[in-house]
Amino acid sequence: MTRAADIPQERLARNPLITPEGYQRLRAILEHPDAPAWNYEVGDRLQSDDLPAVDAFRQQLGNAPPRFEPEPPDSLTAWVEQQRPRVPLIQEALPEGFDLRRDWAHIPAMTRADLVHRLEDIVPLDADLLRMIVYDTSGVTGHAILVPQHPRAMAQYHPLLEIMLEQYGIRPDFSERVTACLNVGCQVSTVTFATLFSVWRQAGFAKVNLHERVWDRERAQRFFSDTAPLFLTGDPLGFAQMAAWDIECRPAAMISTAVTLAPELRLKLQERYGCPVIDIYSTTESGPIAFSAPDGEGMLAAAPDLYVEIVDNEGRPVKEGEIGEICVSGGRNPYLPLLRYRTGDFGRLAPDQQGRLRLYDLQAREPIAFVDGDGLPVCMVDVARIIREWPLVQHEFSQQADRSCRLVIQPLAGYQVDVDMVREKLEKLFGPAVPVTVELDQHLGDSRPGGKVIPFRSLIP
Amino acid sequence: MKGQGPALDRLIHRLAECPPDFLAEPRIGSKSGIHTAAVVHDLLFELGGSWPPPSSVGHFGFASAERRNWLRLVAVASWLLYDDWFRTQRTFAKPALEWLRQGLNGIAELVTADLFVTDPDRREELARLCLSALGLLPSGENEHQAEDRLKSLNSVERVRLIKETQEQQKRARQLREEMRRKEAIEAAARVSRE
Repeated sequence: MTRAADIPQERLARNPLITPEGYQRLRAILEHPDAPAWNYEVGDRLQSDDLPAVDAFRQQLGNAPPRFEPEPPDSLTAWVEQQRPRVPLIQEALPEGFDLRRDWAHIPAMTRADLVHRLEDIVPLDADLLRMIVYDTSGVTGHAILVPQHPRAMAQYHPLLEIMLEQYGIRPDFSERVTACLNVGCQVSTVTFATLFSVWRQAGFAKVNLHERVWDRERAQRFFSDTAPLFLTGDPLGFAQMAAWDIECRPAAMISTAVTLAPELRLKLQERYGCPVIDIYSTTESGPIAFSAPDGEGMLAAAPDLYVEIVDNEGRPVKEGEIGEICVSGGRNPYLPLLRYRTGDFGRLAPDQQGRLRLYDLQAREPIAFVDGDGLPVCMVDVARIIREWPLVQHEFSQQADRSCRLVIQPLAGYQVDVDMVREKLEKLFGPAVPVTVELDQHLGDSRPGGKVIPFRSLIP
Repeated sequence: MKGQGPALDRLIHRLAECPPDFLAEPRIGSKSGIHTAAVVHDLLFELGGSWPPPSSVGHFGFASAERRNWLRLVAVASWLLYDDWFRTQRTFAKPALEWLRQGLNGIAELVTADLFVTDPDRREELARLCLSALGLLPSGENEHQAEDRLKSLNSVERVRLIKETQEQQKRARQLREEMRRKEAIEAAARVSRE
């Protein structure tokens, strides 16, 4: 029987609310004989006063599903007014006397470039940085950025997932006796860890990597079978590998994030695993924005505290139902108040018959397949990880039909990029048979609309 | 509504010709030097036509060593106010005293008094500050033009902006350092990848 005194201090620091029963579950995952080689340790960092806040958010979600709002709702304009004196960028965007409701469409949109160059003008002046945590985005959209976050806001992601599952009739019974979820990926290099989530009653969780360089099929099969996760999260590449490895598992749902899930793969996974496959559209900056609707009609908006609009190139709202760039305001990250933040992704919005907000024709984060010298797939996240080691504004990575690769980097002003080292790392990833060139270009994207480049391209047939 | 004052050039020119005596060391405590209180006392007589009570200029006689630059600036400003244009009006004793007592504190902390004689921009700034304090506009300018021009020259405002910018830069540095520090340590577990 595990006692509270048996829980190591390092684990308590990572999971301050861990119980002896939760720790027992965690050890069962960590010490499983076929577990992957864990290379990271992390917890939810939640404190006791976070739980009521997460419960309150859960309540809010239950009471108010996101509605289609052709104009910003009062709750949003009130929120913007609260942010105005605290956030220099918002102050700048809204001159004295600005009528938020009347002139909403004229508010200059926030961009990823603002997050790169002017983060100090976005983080509220009075923000308490004590519990700040930092994530870096994968950089697959061209600008790798550091995003400040708060453990409480991260924990609010969980009720959002619950609501999405509930739409599919799934209500997981979380407890310290179960593994809530495994997160499934397939990358040459990524972190793997196990932890537990206090907001899910100490249920276990693990992030695993199904790449053959780091784990093998039989061990993964046994690990999945024994940990028996209630549901799975992962990206399409990870799920595809899971099916390819013929891993037996009975999840209540598979939740796909990060890159677009192809309809064929979705169908295949649904058939193979006999459960719904839910595609989530989410960004590190905003959290979940929408998820695939159970009736197959587009995606349902996920968060009532995130106002979604579709804008044209100039940042003006398009007509209802027209395709344009997805732009979000609000959210719950205390360090990143978003005001008309342009995601760089495209789609169109329309109300459904119940007045709920739906997103259609989403074009976001299309997965690009690269191949190494032996013809094996290389995930674009692996390429992005190498590129993002250097401070840069954006990049263009392309692979030609003959497998040769070319990377053009627009470095961040005042910073050096070690071109030789980038090339060496890419050569190591793709193997000696693939020629790689790396160039710097201060004016990359200058000739494109909005300065945007296509970060990843592949001409591999 | 402000009244029309003298031509600005005239005042700027006068400052450029300020005799070195006015920039000499002021008398502070037992240390000898220019008797600033006496200079102001004489000036007020010239501006008002009658002798003010000595107590009205006592403020200038008991300043501490830290206020050396302010005393020198008061002397330069007094030289400016000795201009015939002001003296012949006979109405400026009160606002002039107020300006000399209260209006030069901020700028004296930022700009050495010599520059109000040697530097063209600072000469213009002092001349404009003087007219503004007396409720006058430079001849040929409207209120809007005068305000705009003074704002562009305003040393106190400029330093405030610089300080604000420095504060912002300091905050930006601190935030980025904190983010780098936090980036190096683990964050919190995520249930999925965005």
